[in-house]
Amino acid sequence: MQLIVNIVVLTSIYALVSCGYVLIYRVSRVLNLAHGELMMVGAYLLLVTAGYVTNPMVAIPLAAILSLTMGALVYLLLMRRMTGESVLAAILTTIALGILLRGLIVIFFSAAHQYPSVPLGLHSSSIQILPGARISTLSLVLVLVTAAVYGSLFAALRLSRWGLRMRAAGQNPLLAAQRGINLHFIYALVWGIAMFTGSVAGMLISLDAGLDQTLVLIGLKAFPAALVGGLDSLLGALVGSLIVAAAEVLLIQYVNPLLADVVPFLILIAMLVLRPWGLFGTREALDRV
Amino acid sequence: MRPFIALLAATALAPVTALAQEAYRVGLSGALTGPAAGSYAPAIEGLQLYIERLNAAGGIDGRPVELIVLDDTGEPSRGATNSRRLLGQERVSLMINASLSSTFAPMIADAQRAGVPLLFASSACPAEVYPPAQPLLYCSTAFAARYDSRATLDFVQEQAGTDIDLGLVAMAIPLSRGEIEAAEGLARERGMRPQAPTIVPPPTADYTPFATSIQQAGADWVYAWAPWVTQVRTVEALRRLGWEGNYIAWGHIEAEGELARLRDANLYAIGANSLFSENLPVHQDIRAAAAGSTYPADQMAEGWIAGMVVEAALRAAGWPADGAAVNAAMQGLNVDTQGLRGGPIQFTADNHFRATQYYRVYRWNGEAVEVVRDWQAYSVE
Repeated sequence: MQLIVNIVVLTSIYALVSCGYVLIYRVSRVLNLAHGELMMVGAYLLLVTAGYVTNPMVAIPLAAILSLTMGALVYLLLMRRMTGESVLAAILTTIALGILLRGLIVIFFSAAHQYPSVPLGLHSSSIQILPGARISTLSLVLVLVTAAVYGSLFAALRLSRWGLRMRAAGQNPLLAAQRGINLHFIYALVWGIAMFTGSVAGMLISLDAGLDQTLVLIGLKAFPAALVGGLDSLLGALVGSLIVAAAEVLLIQYVNPLLADVVPFLILIAMLVLRPWGLFGTREALDRV
Repeated sequence: MRPFIALLAATALAPVTALAQEAYRVGLSGALTGPAAGSYAPAIEGLQLYIERLNAAGGIDGRPVELIVLDDTGEPSRGATNSRRLLGQERVSLMINASLSSTFAPMIADAQRAGVPLLFASSACPAEVYPPAQPLLYCSTAFAARYDSRATLDFVQEQAGTDIDLGLVAMAIPLSRGEIEAAEGLARERGMRPQAPTIVPPPTADYTPFATSIQQAGADWVYAWAPWVTQVRTVEALRRLGWEGNYIAWGHIEAEGELARLRDANLYAIGANSLFSENLPVHQDIRAAAAGSTYPADQMAEGWIAGMVVEAALRAAGWPADGAAVNAAMQGLNVDTQGLRGGPIQFTADNHFRATQYYRVYRWNGEAVEVVRDWQAYSVE
């Protein structure tokens, strides 16, 4: 039973991180390789808000709102200028942004390992949820938040007017613009939501395990999950995360823990060879890359 | 935050700062930034503070010590570039490495070509510094491959005997894996039942799967020898699974603050540095020097000890201090660590690590961090 809980928690982490990759790619066709850094910045924003407000019910939403705003600003101040440029230029811009953010984080926050949970007075205890299976309270929150985020995104994309516009912008931006959809607003909104979801993942991980620059690498580990599922499919991100997480947990338990680091990328390579557009992605979308 | 910006600015400007021509020139290449910086940057800052204090007190026989600090971000290519710059342009007479072991090879090669001694400070001690030591390579860092595991297993045996299942935790880096695999052999020789080592990759989102594997194998004790983050995340994950066994980890620079944060009476830290809760005069000196600095004083002992070694080496070398003179001086160095370690750091022509390594064991006793076992000496042969 503990293995199932472990798989669910790891799936939730990867799914919450990877949905940011998918959202941005699906709507704007940009592969955001700074997503790990943006996720880390979101977690550091929590450190900042926790320095001013010690009530977690205020500090966490405040940091999440700041993340949403910052994501939109990244688009408006930087990525917007890549409009009309080659896909490669946009990807390289995100790489440069990631390097810049890593440098700025060290300058402003140092390289020390920090604990946002300490000023917030949060302590992650554990609870038994199934016979022989325990979960930490923060991991449980992470699972619930992931479910809420995916539920909201599925509903919003399918049922709301803004969701329809986002899908339209992703499918045919020229036609969408001709129909009066403000593409820049849609893209800014999507960048904001992507950073919001990544930041929430970063915040919950850092509340549980502390915060330093290695959080970027966790963001990178979620990337194979997004690609395995299909870069333009939210359902794919969820399934890809489940596949990668299950492979990791089972290998750690039954084969060799060392394989946990390698297998996500082996699955990714296998998927790229057999079905480059991913399990739920569309062939047309990847042809553009 | 502001002092750190000043520190980075000073670091960037240091190579072009024109100090007096007669200054002793020492160069450092270290991981000031990058994923591993948390383990090295505090020590580097401690060394800088020591040198600043030394210079403020008149330097060495009236000559200042110029410390040139370059960031290698933990990357071998940058380490190589830095060592060439320090030796070629800056013409240092002593070089220091405070970075990941992947940066060692190019720096060792450059130092040996130039005939300039290379001190490993806060970075792992390479095999070349142990007897029979290779020329020009020295180490002042606390942890020591093989000796750490011997001391740890001695302690575990004292506490629990040999009829135990021993979990073993390492990070997926060669140094950590090598030490834990050696510990597995040592434990078996003693009659303990070691588990297959659990090797944890450096970027890990959730440590619970690793902890589950250790718990389900039935470990009574767990020994971790890895960077602090791996050690502490694993024990936290074990506790959340309800595991109530004893856990012993290497006492890295973060140990003192972390033992107090975790408040776990069954979590032991074995180390070679004294803790600041002892409040020795040297601890007070470091605290005073570190006021307003980026990192907490209790993470600076490694850098401070490196400063002591540098000062002693340059004093013994005299003036003019070229690489050969400093190397000759270091071969007979005896540095009083003033209580930061259990004894002095002694180098000989054949032993560039130290003649005796001392270990202490600490844990949280419910109110404060206490010494569970006082200094235990191990001859380095």
